[in-house]
Amino acid sequence: MLETIRQKVRRGERLTFDDGVALFHEPDLLAVGQLANEVREKLHGDRTYFNRNMRVEVTNVCVASCLFCSFAKLEEHMPGAHTMTLEEAWKALEDRKDDPPTEVHVVNGLHPGLPFSYYEELLAGYKRIDPKVHLKCFTGVEIHFFAQHYKMTYREVLERLRAAGLDSLPGGGAEIFDEDVRKRISHDKATADEYLEVHRVAHGMGMRTNVTMLYGHIETFAHRVDHILRVRALQDETKGFQAFIPLAFHPDGNGMKNLPAPTAVDDLRTLAVSRLLLDNVDHLKAYWVSLTPDVAQIALRFGADDIDGTIVHETIYKAAGTSSPGALRYDDLVRLIREAGRTPIERDTLYNVVREHEKASAPEASMKVKDRVRPGGKRSLEVVS
Amino acid sequence: MSPLRVIGVEYLNARPLWESMRAESMRAESGAPASSGGAASTSGGRISGAPGSIAPIELRLAPPSELARALAEDEADVGLLPVAAAATMGELRLLRNMAIGARGKVRSVAIVAERPIHELDAIALDLSSRTSVVLTRLLLARRKLAPKLFGASPAAAVASIGDRTGALIIGDPALDLEDRYPHRLDLAEDWFEWTQLPFVFAAWFARPDAVSREQEDLFRIAKQKGLARVDQIAAEHAARSGLSEASLRAYLTESIRYDLGDEELAGLQRFWQEGAKAGLLPAATPSFEEPRVASSRPSLDTLLSRAADGERLSGADGVRLLREGSFFELGLAADAVRRRKHPKGVVTYIVDRNVNYTNVCTTSCRFCAFYRPVGHPEGYVLSREVLGQKLKEVVDAGGVQILLQGGLNPDLRIEWYEDLFRWMKKEYGLGLHALSPEEIIHLSRLEGISVRRVLERLNAAGLDSVPGGGAEILVDRVRRKIAKTKCTSSEWLDVMRVAHHMGLRSSATMMYGTIDTPEERVQHLVKIRDLQDETGGFTAFFCWDYQHESGTHLAPGDNGTHLYLRMQAVARLMLDNVDHVGASWVTQGPAVGQVALRFGADDFGSVMFEENVVSSAGTTFRIGAEAIEKRIHDAGFKATRRNVRYDWLTEPA
Ligand code: SF4
Ligand code: SF4
Repeated sequence: MLETIRQKVRRGERLTFDDGVALFHEPDLLAVGQLANEVREKLHGDRTYFNRNMRVEVTNVCVASCLFCSFAKLEEHMPGAHTMTLEEAWKALEDRKDDPPTEVHVVNGLHPGLPFSYYEELLAGYKRIDPKVHLKCFTGVEIHFFAQHYKMTYREVLERLRAAGLDSLPGGGAEIFDEDVRKRISHDKATADEYLEVHRVAHGMGMRTNVTMLYGHIETFAHRVDHILRVRALQDETKGFQAFIPLAFHPDGNGMKNLPAPTAVDDLRTLAVSRLLLDNVDHLKAYWVSLTPDVAQIALRFGADDIDGTIVHETIYKAAGTSSPGALRYDDLVRLIREAGRTPIERDTLYNVVREHEKASAPEASMKVKDRVRPGGKRSLEVVS
Repeated sequence: MSPLRVIGVEYLNARPLWESMRAESMRAESGAPASSGGAASTSGGRISGAPGSIAPIELRLAPPSELARALAEDEADVGLLPVAAAATMGELRLLRNMAIGARGKVRSVAIVAERPIHELDAIALDLSSRTSVVLTRLLLARRKLAPKLFGASPAAAVASIGDRTGALIIGDPALDLEDRYPHRLDLAEDWFEWTQLPFVFAAWFARPDAVSREQEDLFRIAKQKGLARVDQIAAEHAARSGLSEASLRAYLTESIRYDLGDEELAGLQRFWQEGAKAGLLPAATPSFEEPRVASSRPSLDTLLSRAADGERLSGADGVRLLREGSFFELGLAADAVRRRKHPKGVVTYIVDRNVNYTNVCTTSCRFCAFYRPVGHPEGYVLSREVLGQKLKEVVDAGGVQILLQGGLNPDLRIEWYEDLFRWMKKEYGLGLHALSPEEIIHLSRLEGISVRRVLERLNAAGLDSVPGGGAEILVDRVRRKIAKTKCTSSEWLDVMRVAHHMGLRSSATMMYGTIDTPEERVQHLVKIRDLQDETGGFTAFFCWDYQHESGTHLAPGDNGTHLYLRMQAVARLMLDNVDHVGASWVTQGPAVGQVALRFGADDFGSVMFEENVVSSAGTTFRIGAEAIEKRIHDAGFKATRRNVRYDWLTEPA
């Protein structure tokens, strides 16, 4: 089976639903990874993208109650519920004056009590602070909610937000498209068709978007393949997706805390199969916050060509118990990519090159260290160069 | 011009090849005026060619086992290397026309016994020459004989000769005992009978690009001068050793041949081939050309498929794989080796606990954030109550073993350990995997008794096996830099050697990523493999990268998980004689540990733990048996619990 698929991939032939399921069941993990790596290297060589971004979650109040969500609070007065004032939200960017991000990424709960103008002002304010910053805000689920809540069409919502400064949509909220699974894990928000329709409309307006997949909970491999193929189908139609981002389910503090989180081999395989199935989406992102930097590094050999950004203030995965640090410094990301033998490329949201770094000459080149005595007599070696 | 560093052996039969080099330098050192001009005149205590054009030669003598190490660790450029060691290193250039060999009888390398060889149950091997040991194995295999082979010092080998036990003896003892035993198998003679080819024991081997053609002439001149003095050499040796001068002269002029012509080269080639076929040596071809440009150098693909098939790799092969081998190809090859060694698809783990009984340590290793100096307020020695509590928890959790390690605390005497071990064994009955070589050496120094004695006493008190910690990188350049006061590489290996010979098992470890080069990492693996050839006492190998204290463990420059996986794969490929490779999830994290199961590991290490030496350096991962088994299953394996000898304790599921 794998051999047939390998031949197809090498001929540039499109893989089928059955091929996708077979890849998930293939015992030889490394062979699947190697094939995905071939495709990745054909598309991007060693180039590996990251950006300087900033995450803002202005409110975690949400009318929906997705089973997997450890982030949202149903109502404003509940403990832990928080909605930023506009000033607070803007300050997050102002505070980054010395190290300005190229992108602000806003994702929120579905707050029933805010006026639409709140969101418009939010965007406009960010553009006032930094007219060049790219605003990648509001998932398809939020756009759908806005349309319902404020009685507008998707197009009207998107046009008003664009007028206020919106540049593109993030890929969150896709979860799993399969209707049965979706009903069980997030029954009261945008359906698969509604979510995809939002993206279709955005693409039609010339807006680029990303798309995610939440895996490792109650879905089957077939559901994952189905999800990926629905992305592929819309992409055939619109060409508007920039990146596909598989997100691992993390079980802490949510309605599925009895499920174990997916393990690393599942993470890597899901990335690899996504790369092999999605022949029409340029980029595959290994979201390091979800994977941990260690696994993200390996993921760069399993099809991924992007590891997201420096991210400051991530709270969604934090709430679900990831062991990843909340932010990686710019240099950490560069090093992480170089250690995997890849070339780090700082990009903007639309994948324009901001800065091209050099590839490490030899991955095992020896570093220089110096002895360091710390308070309390502890000693350690410190990297000098 | 920096001198050419030449290293020779003090054996009688090697003397003619290097003696004139030393004579020249001695003369210069004693103040004789250095003449100038002309090839091979003295200059600054060294042989040199025309001044300014050829680097002078600096000669040093060492035991044969030291030669390969010095060449591998770049302390010498040219060595009179035993041919087995040369194959093991790989990528060396052979100097033309000079060797130590024999066509037929050699007299100085023989198996002696009271009975004919096919009636022997056992043979004691003088391990000072690996070449002779490999040759012995080949000759025995050819006769379909399988006596028990065991290593011994030269004197012990002779002493162990008995009714059905023979001995492989080498050098002076062999010449001395020439007519003492009724049965004698001269190895070179037997080789000739088999192959009709001469046998080459040693030759000058040079590191790549180290020796120019002009310099090579100096070696030939030295040989001519040496051969002209054979009579004196024999006379001097006779005076020193008490052997007959006439016999020695005959030995040097008739038995030993110093040429390396086509026939000898064919003999050498044949020996390497037979060694590779038997899995005793890496596949190698002797070459007078610079090895890295030679078209005979195998492609990376060839190397990888050879490695996957379980062929022995040379050190040079290992370095190439580590530098150039791609992530997936290394992983797939290591996975293939894992599958061949453990075809049932089972991954083991052990339920045990790491207890650090004291953090007081007189050694201040630079990477260690765990220790406290003597007298420090944070220093501790665990009390019986605390230890008892910990051990009880292990027993309650179904644990089978305690891994007991600590700092080098001068207040704890051997009796303290003996009492502790007896008490632990009696009260809790757990396996005792205790005291790394560093601690054993510390005890031997503290008590003024031998390492063997320390191990015997601890073993009698309940010690079951020795953890392989503290190996770091078994190359002294690195050890001196990162752990100045720690034991040397050979001390570490010696503790393991003694422990293995006593029947204790141990693990082997490697901590890379401080200041070590790829060459040094591979050198480390080769040293473990060599000792394993000798003792078979290592059960498993674990490696991890240096853990940085502060913040994320991305901080050290060169220790990505990408490298960890490649490093472990190369270790699996190099260590063809070590059964198990363990994923070091405690240091690398459970996620990377899981992926490592696809890069050659067949063991997931320990489940309950308290790894202070690592956790003080900023990395802590805690995870239970259920989560470990899920990871093993997701990676496509069955899981089972094991003991320290890797016996399965449960049906794999
Ligand atoms: S996942 Fe999004 S829509 Fe669902 S509850 Fe959480 S914030 Fe609300
Ligand atoms: S690593 Fe061991 S020997 Fe070195 S300082 Fe730490 S406790 Fe002492």
